[in-house]
Amino acid sequence: MSDHETSDDTRTDGGSPGIVAPDDETPTWRERKERTTGLSRLTYEYFERARREDQDLRTESDYVERDVLAFPTWPHETVRNLSIAAFFTGMIFFLSATMPPHIGAPANPSSTPAIILPDWYLYWSFGLLKLGPLNPDLAILGGQKLTADRTYGVLANVVVVGFIAIVPFLNKGSARRPVEQPFWSAVGVGGVVFAFTISLLAVKNLMPMNVHLLFDLTFLLPIVATTVTYAVLKTMREGYMYDLNRRYYRLRPPK
Amino acid sequence: MSLEKKDDMDHKGWMKRKELTPVETTFLTALIWMDKRLRIVDYLELLEDLYYKVNMQMPKSHTEQYDLDNKFWYWYPLYALGSFSTLAYIVAAVSGALLGFYYAPAQTGDPSTAYNSITFIMTDLQFGFMLRSIHRWSAQVMVAAVFLHMLRVYFTGAYKEPRELNWLLGIVLISLTMVFGYTGYLLPWDQLAFWAGQIGVEMSLSIPLAGEWIAQLLFGGFTLSQATLQRMYIIHVFLLPFVVTTLIAIHIGIVWVQGIAEPH
Repeated sequence: MSDHETSDDTRTDGGSPGIVAPDDETPTWRERKERTTGLSRLTYEYFERARREDQDLRTESDYVERDVLAFPTWPHETVRNLSIAAFFTGMIFFLSATMPPHIGAPANPSSTPAIILPDWYLYWSFGLLKLGPLNPDLAILGGQKLTADRTYGVLANVVVVGFIAIVPFLNKGSARRPVEQPFWSAVGVGGVVFAFTISLLAVKNLMPMNVHLLFDLTFLLPIVATTVTYAVLKTMREGYMYDLNRRYYRLRPPK
Repeated sequence: MSLEKKDDMDHKGWMKRKELTPVETTFLTALIWMDKRLRIVDYLELLEDLYYKVNMQMPKSHTEQYDLDNKFWYWYPLYALGSFSTLAYIVAAVSGALLGFYYAPAQTGDPSTAYNSITFIMTDLQFGFMLRSIHRWSAQVMVAAVFLHMLRVYFTGAYKEPRELNWLLGIVLISLTMVFGYTGYLLPWDQLAFWAGQIGVEMSLSIPLAGEWIAQLLFGGFTLSQATLQRMYIIHVFLLPFVVTTLIAIHIGIVWVQGIAEPH
């Protein structure tokens, strides 16, 4: 963390990004190559020429180099990922060999199974379809519902996905880590917890607990999680600020 | 005007000025001749670059370079999830293509042919059980990886300013991944498939105004039949692979152009 930061907003990211220069003793690549003699030296000179020619051509052309602040995909990310690719593929094969799939009874339209469930990753969506009790009975319509319960459930899916989609248009700025953005991280944690609780609501036939309690917890737990996360992250950010201040005063003791 | 190509860079003049020995002249002439045709400069430069990177000094890590006090090394495994889902997608595609040789939905009438061909793959076909297992597990792993990838992107704020488009594209991709999964587990035409399909039909029917049209389009009717299976098959093995592969390519291409938004 830098101590010369003067701006008021909280910086927990270490201040200005400065690229660290190589040691003074380390000869540069150019110096190393310039020491060589003979054919390799000749090759080097030709290459330098060729590179300059390319550079000139590039300068003449209308090619624009863009300056985007980010980490390059190649080689950093790609090398890191290639090195774990084999491991991950092996893991998939291992899972396939040890836990083979099951095939159920053939489809039978005349016998509805006691429990109807999609695959696990659609539980959240299936849970949203069971939000009928939240569909308001409107007084102006004489206690009638504006939409059918299942339309309401499908609409809930659209609302959830729609909210996730507009997040980048609501949350701007350069904060990159949860501590820097307690609010949005808390919202995120709330969302994740809601995805879990709504999935549990989807499998309510299998849950050994009161259905009404389960329904209430589905909405209460995410709120609790959001609040706790917000408090924790705020506190952590204060901690960072405390650390910054302590260092600052150690450098410049108050008069 | 001569037909001979002009030596724009004046290589001959450069060589004359250097007062070279015959060995050197031969070497340089050969080098320039090869270079003009094969651009070996570029490749040697890459090799050279690699050589020095490997031997002289390790490139500084992100944390060192930006002086971050080793604050976020623990994020690093999470940055592989995007690649991991791509990898699982490739494994699923290959195993799915192999399964496609043996699986067929019925052409007409009775959809139980689908169930029988799955039974055939799992009981009679050499390696068939493993093949289906791989296809299923890679699909499960892909969905899980895509979900976790999205969480990583959210919590590290990687969707921010120049990357909104990729976030939207990602939401389309995660939805299509789930549609892939849905159409996939409808194909065996067992009880899970049938009743999941029933839920799908009811969901489409409950959409105001367009509901019946959508149910017709996606499921081929208001009740499940052989037409439903046929449509799910076409969506799963013909439509989605092309669409999703293209979108993944664009998604990764944008990441490539914009760079990885690691937390600074």
